Amino acid sequence: MADLGAMALLLGLVVSCYAAAASVLGEKMRIAELIVSARRSIYMTALCAAVASGTLIFAFAENDFSIEYVANHSNTLMDRAFVWVAFYAGNEGSLLYILLILTVISSISIWVAPTRLERSMPWTIAILAVIQLFYFAVLTLSASPFELMENVPEDGRGINPLLTHPGMFSHPPLLMGGLIAITVPFAFVSGALIAGNFGDDWVDVARVSAIIAWGVLGIGMLLGAWWAYTILGWGGYWAWDPIENVALMPWLVLTAFIHSIMVQKRRGMFRMWNVALLNIAFVLAQLGMFINRGGPVVSVHSFAASTLGMIFLSFMLASLVFAFALFLWRMPALKSDRNMESFMSREASFLVNNFLFLSVMAITLWGVLFPLFSDFARDVSVTVSAPYFDRANGPVLLGIVMMMGVGPLLPWRKASARSLKQWFIWPTAALLLIITFLVIAGIQRPVAIFAFGVVGFVAASILEEWWRGSYARHRNGDNWALAWWRLVNGNRPRHGGYIVHISILMIGLGIIGTNFYQQRTDGAISLGESLVIDNYRIQYIDRGDDSRPDRVAQWAEISIYKIEPSDYAYEFDLALSQGSNGFTLEDSTRRKNDKLIDTIKPWHGFYLDFNMASVRSGIRSTFIEDLYVIPRDFLNDGRVSLAVSINPLAWWLWASGPLFIIGTMIALWPQPAVETRPAKKNTKQSPAES
Amino acid sequence: MIATHTFPYRVRVTVLVLFTIMSAIVTEACVREEDISLEQRAYQLSGELMCPVCDGQTIDGSNAQIAVDMRLKVTNLLQEGNTNAEILDYFSDRYGEEILAAPTGKGFNMLAWIFPALIVTAALGIALYTIKHMKSSVLNNEPKSSSTGNISIKHTDLSEYLDRVDKDLGIKKDSTIQAKQEKEDEEEN
Repeated sequence: MADLGAMALLLGLVVSCYAAAASVLGEKMRIAELIVSARRSIYMTALCAAVASGTLIFAFAENDFSIEYVANHSNTLMDRAFVWVAFYAGNEGSLLYILLILTVISSISIWVAPTRLERSMPWTIAILAVIQLFYFAVLTLSASPFELMENVPEDGRGINPLLTHPGMFSHPPLLMGGLIAITVPFAFVSGALIAGNFGDDWVDVARVSAIIAWGVLGIGMLLGAWWAYTILGWGGYWAWDPIENVALMPWLVLTAFIHSIMVQKRRGMFRMWNVALLNIAFVLAQLGMFINRGGPVVSVHSFAASTLGMIFLSFMLASLVFAFALFLWRMPALKSDRNMESFMSREASFLVNNFLFLSVMAITLWGVLFPLFSDFARDVSVTVSAPYFDRANGPVLLGIVMMMGVGPLLPWRKASARSLKQWFIWPTAALLLIITFLVIAGIQRPVAIFAFGVVGFVAASILEEWWRGSYARHRNGDNWALAWWRLVNGNRPRHGGYIVHISILMIGLGIIGTNFYQQRTDGAISLGESLVIDNYRIQYIDRGDDSRPDRVAQWAEISIYKIEPSDYAYEFDLALSQGSNGFTLEDSTRRKNDKLIDTIKPWHGFYLDFNMASVRSGIRSTFIEDLYVIPRDFLNDGRVSLAVSINPLAWWLWASGPLFIIGTMIALWPQPAVETRPAKKNTKQSPAES
Repeated sequence: MIATHTFPYRVRVTVLVLFTIMSAIVTEACVREEDISLEQRAYQLSGELMCPVCDGQTIDGSNAQIAVDMRLKVTNLLQEGNTNAEILDYFSDRYGEEILAAPTGKGFNMLAWIFPALIVTAALGIALYTIKHMKSSVLNNEPKSSSTGNISIKHTDLSEYLDRVDKDLGIKKDSTIQAKQEKEDEEEN
């Protein structure tokens, strides 16, 4: 079994070596057959990676504990569904998974690439082959998932308990897939630059592949946040952990790229800048790979600690040198076609937005690296964690959201004073109205109020444009829904973008709500007792055991009552005088206005082999607020120690996901005009080739 | 077009306003101790202190025994009337600076905080400079239109926009979007 996988990897190594060499030689010596065979070699590597991956997954399914990787990441008690998760639960498997994705998307992108990129294809193929070669080499030489055990154990060690969550089926694969997918636009643009293809031929390919990588990465991060919210057991969803940061940084740069590439597509400007952005994103993705594989910074995601650090650091530095040497070499040829005409133009606003995105990236990078500087400069260890990033990045992120409202309202080229007034009056009114309303309503926290105002501003700007566009169509007899849909269809990149913007606003709402208005309390209660916070009373009804040989686990059944705080006025006063917002209640007889609204079953387990606790929070979610209950511990005296919080607007964080996907799909859906031309050429090309 | 040597007035004002708002945000984001209950302050402080035995978790997020003990200590210190700063100092004296989730603003650590401000200032500066530069330099082959301003106003008029919407929607029979774009460009030159 293991031999088959190892052989497939070795074969992949040889074939990708050949692909790189054949492609370059074929181009240099003008031998078309060599280039074609290099192209087919890439398809071959995908087959090799698929065979290796299939072998490993099969070994997991068969409980083949003679393979060390299988023995370390699964056991017979494990739910069979998690075989897929176990595949990438460790270092070697996740590298194999990354390689699989890389080879498959390389093949697909080469397959569908338009013929006008023919001149640069040999170089693109060579770059893809070299990157594949690196992963094949690492997997063959220093991190093989097919190492055999000397003594075959009865049972495996089991899967990391934090990974046994539905979110884990998709979060890690999407994140790793998104990071590696940045290779594709990078390879196409670099290939074009080497070949001296300086026109805008690569724009569509780079834009589409970058949006795919960006969307996959974005959804991966959102799922990771959701996973953290429901399982990590501290009520947070984003900890600014180094591993999260290294996924966020390339995503931010890609976000800048997919905006500024539109300027190149529409106006022939920012060529140099777009190439630089892609280079930065690619190098940051390599930094992410490095920090994930035994990098020098402390992280909660310690699953992949290994000695591969130096190898990945070298590869990152090599890609940095390559990308920027190429950039500097070809820079003079990457001039813009046109001049900027005004500060008040969409091009200008995109440039400002780009620099704000880069600022957040640079601040985050600075925060990730600062502990190393401190160690080096003063020999004192410091920690840079969430409180730092919240404060340093928060204001810039708010600025970016603001630009999200301003940019789209500005026309290309130059805005006249009249159009500025026409377009900005409603969003500004929305901003002021919301702020006034919240202040009158007695809402605390000025910054949050301003932030809500900004969200309203952006939402109003989008709705305004949709309304005006739909109205024009509506006058001609379409109903509103159809009118809107035709508007969206008329310019999908733009309106798909707006839908994504709305999903970002929803995430913004969630972040503001949970960061500024969270309420918490905790306490240990016996069966029958209650905890009271704000207008909720939660009563501990029942408990049960869910232990297995590899874990000690219990669940609690908890009833949630909606209460009228005035019924509990005396207790609330008492609690407040002791400096607390909530309190425990021994006598849980129902009071007049108590209403049972839900029952939750939070769960707490301790995994002996891993010396690790894992929880499932009990969450009652509404779009106004989440009541969030974490079982911190089941005490020996029969009490359960609970941490309870009210997380306002948290629902919006997760509701944004589907909208994000829909918006991205709409933006990606080929425009009829653009679609027809390459498609025709493609059908001509493929048979000729094969 | 003659190169202007200063940024337009409204740009300068916008930048100034943005900076004021941002500094206000930074100030407000700091904990205002007197406004909130001891319990909420304890939660906030737990988020500012790292758990010494767990990788990258604050004591707020950890269930390790030492984290539980430290949370208790925070509560006790608060009840004794200590300020947040005093409590953070208490822990950093005993466990080293590493225990703080964010570096202090003093000494070498000030760098951690100054740099982000520099980054944003530099980024906005470069962005505005680039726009100015791209406005004033003749970059490439395209002949400059002598009446850019007028056409732009016409171009950005609402009616013009709505016309374009109509075209997008196919009400007015027009060719593809790309062709339209090219046509627009021709009109202007």
